[in-house]
Amino acid sequence: MSTTTTEVVGGQKVRRTKRRVEPIYYLFLLPSLILLTLAITIPGIIGIFFSFTDSIGIGDWSFIGLTNYVAAFSDPAILQSYLFTFGFSIATVLVVNVIAFMLAVGLVSRIRFKTGLRTIFVIPMVISGIIIAYVFNFLFSNSLPALGTALGIEALETSLLANPDLAWVAIVAVTAWQAIPGTLLIYIAGLLSVPGDVYEAADIDGATKFQQLTRITVPLVAGYVVINIILGFKGFLNAYDIIVGLTNGGPGTATRSVAMTIIAGFNGGDYAYQMANATIFFVVAILISILQLSLTRGRNAF
Amino acid sequence: MSFNPQKVARAVAGSLALTLVSVGLAGCSVGDGREPVRFTFSKREAIEFMTDVVAKYNASQDKVQVNIDTSGVDVVSASFVRGNPPDLMLANYNMEVARFVERCTLSDLSDTTAASQMKESYQPLLDQYGVCEGRQSALPFSVMAASVIYNKEIFEANNLQVPTTWDELIDVCEKLVAAGVTPFYATLKDDWTVGQGWYDYTVGGSIDVIDFFDRLSAQGADVGPDSETSFSKDFAEPMDKMQQLLDDYINKDAPSRGYNDGNLAFAKGEAAMYLQGPWAFSEIAKTSPDLALGTFPLPMTDDPADRSVRVNLDLAAMIPEGSNHKEAARDFLEYLFQPENIEAYNASQLGFTPTSTAAAPDDPRIEGMIPFIDAGEIYQGPSVLVPKTIPVFNYAQAIALGGDAGQYLATMDADWARLAFRAPAKKES
Repeated sequence: MSTTTTEVVGGQKVRRTKRRVEPIYYLFLLPSLILLTLAITIPGIIGIFFSFTDSIGIGDWSFIGLTNYVAAFSDPAILQSYLFTFGFSIATVLVVNVIAFMLAVGLVSRIRFKTGLRTIFVIPMVISGIIIAYVFNFLFSNSLPALGTALGIEALETSLLANPDLAWVAIVAVTAWQAIPGTLLIYIAGLLSVPGDVYEAADIDGATKFQQLTRITVPLVAGYVVINIILGFKGFLNAYDIIVGLTNGGPGTATRSVAMTIIAGFNGGDYAYQMANATIFFVVAILISILQLSLTRGRNAF
Repeated sequence: MSFNPQKVARAVAGSLALTLVSVGLAGCSVGDGREPVRFTFSKREAIEFMTDVVAKYNASQDKVQVNIDTSGVDVVSASFVRGNPPDLMLANYNMEVARFVERCTLSDLSDTTAASQMKESYQPLLDQYGVCEGRQSALPFSVMAASVIYNKEIFEANNLQVPTTWDELIDVCEKLVAAGVTPFYATLKDDWTVGQGWYDYTVGGSIDVIDFFDRLSAQGADVGPDSETSFSKDFAEPMDKMQQLLDDYINKDAPSRGYNDGNLAFAKGEAAMYLQGPWAFSEIAKTSPDLALGTFPLPMTDDPADRSVRVNLDLAAMIPEGSNHKEAARDFLEYLFQPENIEAYNASQLGFTPTSTAAAPDDPRIEGMIPFIDAGEIYQGPSVLVPKTIPVFNYAQAIALGGDAGQYLATMDADWARLAFRAPAKKES
């Protein structure tokens, strides 16, 4: 947010080189800047600093150079948590965007009970993730197996969460369930911004509804798709509460996300090592952002 | 639904923290000339009891005002980082707390009366978590003993004796299966129940845990498939036996059952044996208050003398070096360790009092463990002796669910070696 604002201020500076910039703009920036510095930048730098030490968060510490990084790169648990996190994020982004887009198209068309349906679909957004996770945990562990037993479907008789190869499916499903409303709202806003006359023109030209969807709607809301994918991916990379509530990283270590690994380090007195992990994650996240921005820069169409 | 009781306790404590902090602040501002002592205690089940003790102490003298703070382990850790530790901690003694010991942030308690009363067999257990040279950093206050909980009614109905060897155990299981009774109720969904029960009991019954970890530490970064001591080598047999038991003698839906499901099912008599600690008794009693239960250590070898009981230092007292009220805190510490107080506490929680004079708690449910405790046939769970960085509970759960034990043990070896590689060089003791 602050970056955009800076650019605007900068832009005005260029245009009105002769005139003084209103100091009020800097004043607007100040609260965010102070908070960002105090709450994110300084702790971040301190954290990176400690990743080169053997600190456990308290007491004496000494510099150990790159040892933490060397150990982290050869740690299969950390590697696995990255693979899981990225796989999970990509799967969830796809599921969330496809479903949310289809729902949005349905909910802006002329159907009955539109407002009521919109309200219902948005409800998951206002429930806390950990509560959703515990409720679904119960459903997966008890209700679904009971249903499976009653119907004689053997695949459902054991809990999805107890299967190391399939537990991620449950996590994707629950995360998607919670994330779809937010994405849905952005898509609805996007779809409503498409002017009606282009559809009228398409109707006159004899385009089918499906052609209208693929040739008109999708290209015109492409910018929103990009936003949703970037925001969604960023959010899912930090997945934590839903996984804790559903599997707590299990069965075994099948569903440990990067965030969980890092936090386990705080609780377990392994502060410096997980700070190194966090630093690596930070760099990876920046690389992904740069990639995403360069792929989508200045484009609001595919 | 399954909740890790520690997590829930933490969540509850967390939400209480704010209220208590504000209450605490209000308490400070009154200021009646007494020296304030911030006393942290967050064992959920005993907060009421301890609040009473504090009130009695405050009423008994007029020099010190003890304020109980129940905000939990994480808040205490954070207060150390901020340089504002509590004046007295009574906390579960584990790897999380042990780092305060290793970095010498706790004051020496060796010259207290309480220290002189301590039963000596507990010193090695304290030392397993780390030592600050020349200091008695912590004093055990309450010891919990855990072993197999069994349903006496089912055992009697089937004419079964408590097994003392591995073969007898298998025999008991076979007879139960033949009688249509599930031998063990397992709750594999909650990884900590696998860790503290299946993993710890099978390993602790098979090997000398203290000796194993001594040898493992000595090897440091060299631990691996070829080293003399390793998880792969020493734990292979116990894990194999654990999988045998889990393959044939547990409830079918174990992978999707959690701790609370287990307490309920066991209380209803759905299985004969249950690998849980004494904390489960009160939960079971909620459903079946009169169920006759007993305990026995899981026999893992053919020699009855190898049996031993898993203990943990459920509470230990510590006074941080950074406290500004150390003398006042010590006064309250001595009060806590007075025989009538420490013994009353342990009697209320089914804990063992770690003083040399105290008698074991009088309860038929833990009777089966008393001879082992008295004889010092005890070990601390190998799942809690490994730094939290290594997700032992998760590995144990994976093995319990039928994973390749050899592969997971090798992973643990590699994790251990990596940890030793980046750990600061330990001072030789």
